[in-house]
Formats: sequence, C-alpha cells, structure tokens
Amino acid sequence: MERVVNSKEIKSILDEHKDKMKLMLKVCVRCTFCAETCFLYRSREQNPKYMPSMKIINSIGKLYKKKGKVKFEELEKMREIVFHDCVLCTRCSCPMGINIPEMIALARRVLRSQGIYYSYDKEPHSIATSNTEI
Amino acid sequence: MIKIQPKPIEEITDIAGSYKKILIVGCGGCASVCLGGGQPEVDKLTEILNLNFEEKNAPNRAKGCTIERQCNKAFIEELENKVPEYDCVFSMACGAGAQYIAEVFPGTPVFPAVNTVSIGIDREIGVYEERCRACGECVLSYTGGICPVTRCAKGLFNGPCGGTNRDECEIGRGIPCAWLAIYNRLKEQNRLDDIHKLRAPMEWQNQTLRTLVQEF
Repeated sequence: MERVVNSKEIKSILDEHKDKMKLMLKVCVRCTFCAETCFLYRSREQNPKYMPSMKIINSIGKLYKKKGKVKFEELEKMREIVFHDCVLCTRCSCPMGINIPEMIALARRVLRSQGIYYSYDKEPHSIATSNTEI
Repeated sequence: MIKIQPKPIEEITDIAGSYKKILIVGCGGCASVCLGGGQPEVDKLTEILNLNFEEKNAPNRAKGCTIERQCNKAFIEELENKVPEYDCVFSMACGAGAQYIAEVFPGTPVFPAVNTVSIGIDREIGVYEERCRACGECVLSYTGGICPVTRCAKGLFNGPCGGTNRDECEIGRGIPCAWLAIYNRLKEQNRLDDIHKLRAPMEWQNQTLRTLVQEF
C-alpha cells in the first residue's frame, strides 16, 4: 500500500523558515568550498553526492521548490541524503554564510514529521561500511 | 558513543501525573543509535503515557518530537516555540542533553525519561558494552588498549592486585581480570615493559566540572 504524504504538514514546517531558507538557497554560488570542509566528501573519493551544496539542493531545496508536494518515494530518496550521506557533524562551512547544518536539520525535521528517519536497528552499520576508510 | 536506557515506566508516570501537557523530546544523536531515545522510542513512550492517562480518565496528554541533538543549542532552537506550550518536558537524551534543555528553558520543569549508562561500543544491535568512563587521563597507550578504569573492578592504575583468581576478579560474578587481559595483550605485542611503568595515582578530575576548549 502506498504511504500517504501529509503535504500540508510539510508546507507548514517549511513556511516557518521560508524567508531564511529561500535566501540561503538563493545565495549559493556553487563554489564547492563547502565540499572541502566535508569529511565524508574528502574521504569518499570526492564523490559529488557528498558535497554539502548538493545535499541541500536535493533535499530542502527540492522541498521548497515543490512547496512540500512530494511523493513518498522522493522523501525516501531525501532520507538517504540527509540521514545517510550527512552525519550532521556541523563542520561544513560556506563563505557566503549559508548555514548548511541548519538546512539539513530542517530537512530531517520534515522527514521525521512523515515518520521517515534512520533506523539504527535495521541499518546500523551502513554508514561505516559504505565506503573506504576515513 | 554514549549509551542510555529508558527509565522504568512507573517512574515516568509517577512524575508525569502532575502535569497536564507533557512534551517528550527525543535526541537524534547517541540516544537514537543505542535505540533508547530516538524517534521510535519517543513515539512508544508517548503512546504508553497517553494510554495510561486515558485508562485513568485523566486529562493529561503527552506529545512527542525528536530534535537532531540535545547537546547543541542550534538544534534546541527548534523547541523555542514549542516548549512554552507545555507544562513539562521529558528528555530522552543523555544527562548532558537533558541539562542543556533545562538550561535553555529554565521556566519549564525538565525530567529525564532515560538513564545515562555509559560510553560504550556496539557489540551488536541492542548490545552495548562499556569501554570508557571519561576519566580525563587516558592510559590506554600503556595498557595494550584495555582500560583499567572501566574494566578493572577496582579501577587500578597499577595492577594486577592480589585478587586475581583463575582469570577472574576476586569480586566474582564472572568478571574477567582486566589486568590479566592487559598482561596477555602486552605480551602478545611484545610490550611487557609497559606493565612495569608505574603510573602516578589518578587525579580524579572526573569529580570536577570539566569544560573542553579544543584547539584545532
């Protein structure tokens, strides 16, 4: 059975931070400086999926672009990005002042509101074993 | 990581009964990893408390939410508009997280819904073993990577004592002698000289409030 997404609830969470988030999404100049500050990106052969800018564009960016009207499958993909590809260590930085951890945390909050989160009882070692040594 | 364990439900219901609107806050960090205080555990506790209240026809109601980390103010800010709407908060984070929530919202009673147990390793899903007591003066370099503070029943820095009894500690209960394990490990690594290096008695800094400023 297809899981239903409560778009209204998602939009209400997004609206709480709309101005700030949209501004931060707008000022990203794709300079890739944030990538150099991400230990996952650096230790995983510079795979672009670990670039913090990519993570925010494909998660919270997509949520704002679609005004919260997303399918469950799309949220599942975002779950992979914000819970698996980012450990929220808060060490990433942006020369434009974009608060990347805050954006990832908001994306996680949206997903949590729909019952989507990281299941440590089912996938506890996937981060550790997903690639080479750190 | 830090390991926590949910408190007995009786202890929580006993406190919760005095408050009508209860907010249960989970933590997406260590507490989630050890399956003790993440979103599923928050949902479960919320359900149990509400069922309990309904059975007693009590007007009290609990609601749950999970923030990414309770030991970081940037993530606690998410609760700024929420907490004032409730009469009390139950934190499902470690003691540090619960105290930070209490500090940020001094006007609201904050109660722990879990017991902080240890800093430990994940042996397997749901099985965690203590490995560190954060004593502030790590001696693992000299002890073959086995912590005498955590794993020796007496916390001896210079062992073994005279109480080793057939691989086990004299206090019994099947507790292996940490210093025998240290000896065996050092012997295996041809580093038995390390066991002769006497360590000064520990300054138990753990008993004073420590603040860490990391230089990087």
